[in-house]
Amino acid sequence: MLDGVTLEVEGGELVAVLGRSGSGKSTLLHLVGGLDRADAGSIEIVGQSLECADDRALARIRLRSVGFVFQSFALVEELSGEDNVLLPTRLPGAPSGGRRRGKRLIDELGVRSVAHRAPHELSGGEQQRFAIARALVNDPALVLADEPTGNLDTTSAAEVLGLLRTLTARDCAVVVVTHEHDTAVAADRVLYLVDGQLESRPSPA
Amino acid sequence: MLATSTVVAYGLATGFERSARAADLADVIADFNPQPLSKIAPRVDALPDLAAVSFRLQLTNVRLVAPGHFAGDGVVEVLGPGRRGYAILSGHDLSRPGEVLVEQGLASSWGLRLGSTLTIGARQLRVVGITETPDNVAYPLATPRVYITRATYDVPFRDPNGPLALPPLCRPGASPEATFGLRRRPPLSAIRRLCRNLEARLRHPQSGFGPEAGGDPEVNEVELWARNPSGLNSLLVQARESAYGIEDLSFVTRAGVRVLVDQAAGIVIALLVSLSVVALLTAAVMLAASARADVQRRLMAIGVRRAVGATRGRVAALGAVEAALVAAPAATLGVLAGLLVASGPSSSLLDLLNERPAGSALALPLAGCWLVAVAIPVALSAWPAWRAGARAPSALLRGGELRGGARSQRGFAGLFGLGGRLVLARRTRLLATLAMLGTSAAFILLMLALASELTTLENDPSALGQRYQLLATLPASDAGRVAALPGVAAAAPRYELTAADSFSLGETIDVIAYPSDPTKFEDPPLVSGSWLHGPHQAVVGVGLAQVLGLSRGATLALALPSGTEARFQVVGTVNALEHDGRVAYTPAAALVAADPSAPEQIAVRLDPGARTAVVSGELAGIGAAASPTATVTSKGQTLVGALTAILRAVAVVDGLVCLYTLVQALALVAVERRETIAVLRACGAGRAAVQQLLAGAAIVVVVPAVVVGVALERLVLGPSMSHIAEGYATLPLGASAEIIEVVVLGLLALAGGAVLWVSRQAAREPITAGLPT
Repeated sequence: MLDGVTLEVEGGELVAVLGRSGSGKSTLLHLVGGLDRADAGSIEIVGQSLECADDRALARIRLRSVGFVFQSFALVEELSGEDNVLLPTRLPGAPSGGRRRGKRLIDELGVRSVAHRAPHELSGGEQQRFAIARALVNDPALVLADEPTGNLDTTSAAEVLGLLRTLTARDCAVVVVTHEHDTAVAADRVLYLVDGQLESRPSPA
Repeated sequence: MLATSTVVAYGLATGFERSARAADLADVIADFNPQPLSKIAPRVDALPDLAAVSFRLQLTNVRLVAPGHFAGDGVVEVLGPGRRGYAILSGHDLSRPGEVLVEQGLASSWGLRLGSTLTIGARQLRVVGITETPDNVAYPLATPRVYITRATYDVPFRDPNGPLALPPLCRPGASPEATFGLRRRPPLSAIRRLCRNLEARLRHPQSGFGPEAGGDPEVNEVELWARNPSGLNSLLVQARESAYGIEDLSFVTRAGVRVLVDQAAGIVIALLVSLSVVALLTAAVMLAASARADVQRRLMAIGVRRAVGATRGRVAALGAVEAALVAAPAATLGVLAGLLVASGPSSSLLDLLNERPAGSALALPLAGCWLVAVAIPVALSAWPAWRAGARAPSALLRGGELRGGARSQRGFAGLFGLGGRLVLARRTRLLATLAMLGTSAAFILLMLALASELTTLENDPSALGQRYQLLATLPASDAGRVAALPGVAAAAPRYELTAADSFSLGETIDVIAYPSDPTKFEDPPLVSGSWLHGPHQAVVGVGLAQVLGLSRGATLALALPSGTEARFQVVGTVNALEHDGRVAYTPAAALVAADPSAPEQIAVRLDPGARTAVVSGELAGIGAAASPTATVTSKGQTLVGALTAILRAVAVVDGLVCLYTLVQALALVAVERRETIAVLRACGAGRAAVQQLLAGAAIVVVVPAVVVGVALERLVLGPSMSHIAEGYATLPLGASAEIIEVVVLGLLALAGGAVLWVSRQAAREPITAGLPT
C-alpha cells in the first residue's frame, strides 16, 4: 500500500497528509505511531528505531513519545472526561508528573466545567478536546491525529484545528491525516498520498 | 461436567436393573428357619403364576480362609437345582463336587482367582467362577458370600477333628497367625464372633457347616421367579398364606432391593444432576453473551451478506454452522474428558454395590450429552444472528462496538479499577456469572468437606469418639502396670461383648464397659441426655435407640452370653458409627457382675507425641499383644476410598467449570471492549497493563463469588447434607478454614490463569484491528 515513502517531521511542525479514502493515510499513521510494523524500511521517533523494538519497547515508545487522536474520540465510556485524560498516566512506565499535567491541560483546553461528565454527556467538540488532552498528557514528542475533525461540526472542527496548531508551540511534532482540504489550511506542510507515494505540494493557503 | 455427571448418575441409576437382568435375579427371595425340603416344596408348587423356583440352604457365620485372609462370618449358599440368580463374571458355573463360586467383592479383596483354593470350615474347595449378585452389596461392605452345590455340601468330611471341633485359636495361648497362617492379625471382633459361632454349633450341630443325616435335605431359602412380575402382590399374599407354621419367614422382593439401592444412590444422583444443571446454565449464559458479542463484532459482515441478498434464515444458518464447527470438536473432547475422569471411580463404586458399570450402554446418554453440548452453542449463535438479520442492511453496515449506557463513576482506581468497571457495566451478566461461580464454589467446598470428613473417619480414631490408641490383651488387674509404661497417658480395663436385646432377641448389641468415666477413652458425640453417672445406667448409640425405640429413661434389657440378664436405665444417646450405632456403654461393675466371663482388655491412651509402635514394644515387654484402634470399620474402608475419589473427581471437574466461567467472563470483556483495549494499547499499554485491567475484572467476579460460595455451603448445602446424614453420624459439613483457604487460593489461581490466557490472546490481536474506524 505504501511504497518508498519518506517523511521527516521536525518538532514544532504541523504536517497534514491528504489523500483519498483508502489511499493508505491511516496505514501511514499506524506505522509511524508503532501500531503496525512495516515490511521494509525504517522509522525513528526522537532517535528511537521502531523496527528493532520488540512489543514491550514499542509500547514504551508509544507511552512516552507518541500521542494519538482518533476521529471518533475513542473515550472510555465508564470513565469521566478527566479520568480519560489521566488514563495514560496510570499505565505502567508512564512518566512522572502526568496527573498534574493532565489537570493543567483540562484547564487549558477549557473543559474543566464538564470534566466530571461521562463521554456520552459531552458534545463532540468537548469529547475531542478531552481526547487531545489524553494524547498530550505524557508530554509526547509526536502527536498523530487521524481525521480529528471528521465527526465535528464546522465550529468545533475549527476549534480543534486551532488546538492542534497550538501544540506546535510546545515543540511538539503534529501529523494530521485527513481528506478535508480545510484541515490542511492550518498545516505548515501538506503532503498528498497518491498511489502509495507521498507528494509534496504547496499549502492550499 | 455434563459427561462426568452422566457417567456416574447413569451408572448408579441403571446399575441395579442391568445387574439384576444379567444375574436373572429372583423376583422374590423368602428366608425362614431351616425346614425339610419335603415340607416346603409342595407349598411352593401350589403357588400361582410361578415361572421357576430354586431351593437353597443358606449357612451363616461360616469360617472362610484363604492364604493371608480370614473371615468368621462367611455366608455359604448351598444351591439346589434350577435357576441361579447370579451372574458369572469369569469362569464357569458349578458342575462337580469340590468347586466353589466366589462373589466378586470377596475375590478382589482376597485376591482369589480361578483355580485358587478357599477353605470353608475344614474343607478346601477350588474356585471355578467369580459371581455377581445384586441382591446385596459386595464384600467388604457385606459379609463374604460363596456358592457351592448340594453335592459338595453332602460330601462327608475327612478332617479327623471333624467340622465342629474347636480350632486351636480358641484355646489359651494360641495366636490367630499360628492357627491360620495369616500375615496380619484378624480383628478381635471377628475372632470373638468365630468362637461364639463355633460354640453355638457345638450346642446346635444342625446349624453348622456339614451334611444333614437322612435323604430329605434342609432348606431355609427359596427363590421365586414370577411369570408376570406385575402381579407379584397376589403371589406374595398366597405365599404368606401357604407359609403358615414356618417360623422367621421374611420376603425380599426385587423391587424392594431396588428401592434400597435407589435411596442410597438418589442423593448422589441429585447432587450430580444439580451440578450438571449449574454447569449447563453457566455454559449457556456465557455462550449466549459470547455469541451476542461475536455477532455484534461481525455486524458489518452480516450487513454485506444482507445487502447482497442473503435472507435472515441464511444469516442465522451460517451462524449456526460456524458455531457447530467449533462446538462439535469441543463437545467431543469434553465428553471424552468427562468419561475418563469419572469412569474409574464410578466403576469402583458400582463394584462395591455389586452392580455393573454401564459399559457400552453409556454410549447413548453420552451421545445425548454431546448433542446438548453442540445444540446449546448452535442455538445461542443462530438466535442473535437471526435478530441482527432483521435490521436494515444500511444500519448493519455501520457496525460498531457494543456500548452500554455506562455512567461515569468517581474514584478512578487505575487499570485495576477500570477492569472492575468494565465488568460492572454488564450487571445482569455479572449477576449470572456470580451465581454460577458461587454455586460451583459452594459445591466444591461441599465435595471437599465431605471428602475430608470421610478421610477423617478413615484415618482418625478420634472422629469415631475413640480417644485411646491401643488395646492390650492383658487382665484388668494389669491396668496399673500399663499406665506406668513410658508414653502411656492413661490405661483402663475395657470390657466388650455382644449381647441381645431381651425383648427382641434378633437385635445384637455391642456392649462396652469401663470401670470409671468412659469418656476418658471413648467419647462419641452425645446427641441427648448425659453420660453415665450411676451404677445401672447405659448410654446407647442412636442406631440402637432407633431400632429398639429407646429414649432417655427407658430400660435396656440385655441377654448376655452367660445366659443372665442385665437391665440398665438409658440416660443418653450418642452418635456411634460402629455396628450401625447398635452400641451400649455401661458401667463395668454391673456388666461383670452379670457376666463374669465378659472379655477384658486394657485400653491404652498415649501421651501426645508418643509413637504407637514404641508403646506396643513396651507392652510386648510385659507380655501383652497390642493392637491399634480401628478407625472406620474395615468393611467401610473400600467404600470410603471410592466415595472420596468420586467426590474429589467431581470437585476437580467443578473447578474446571469455574475456570471455564472465568475465562469466558474475561474473554467477553476482551471481545466486547476490544476498542477500549486497543486504545489503551495505542496509548502505550503493554501486556502487563492489559493483565492489570483483566485482573481487576476477575477480582470483581471472584471475590463476591467466594463469599456467595462459602455462605451457600455453610448455610444451605452443608446443613442440608448433615441433616440427611444425621441418622448415622454427626458430620460437621461446614467447610473448614483450611478447605476454604484451599478453594479461595484455587479460585484465585484459576482467575490468574484465566487473566494470563485472555490477556495473551488480547495482546496477540493487532492493535489496529480494534481501533475505531
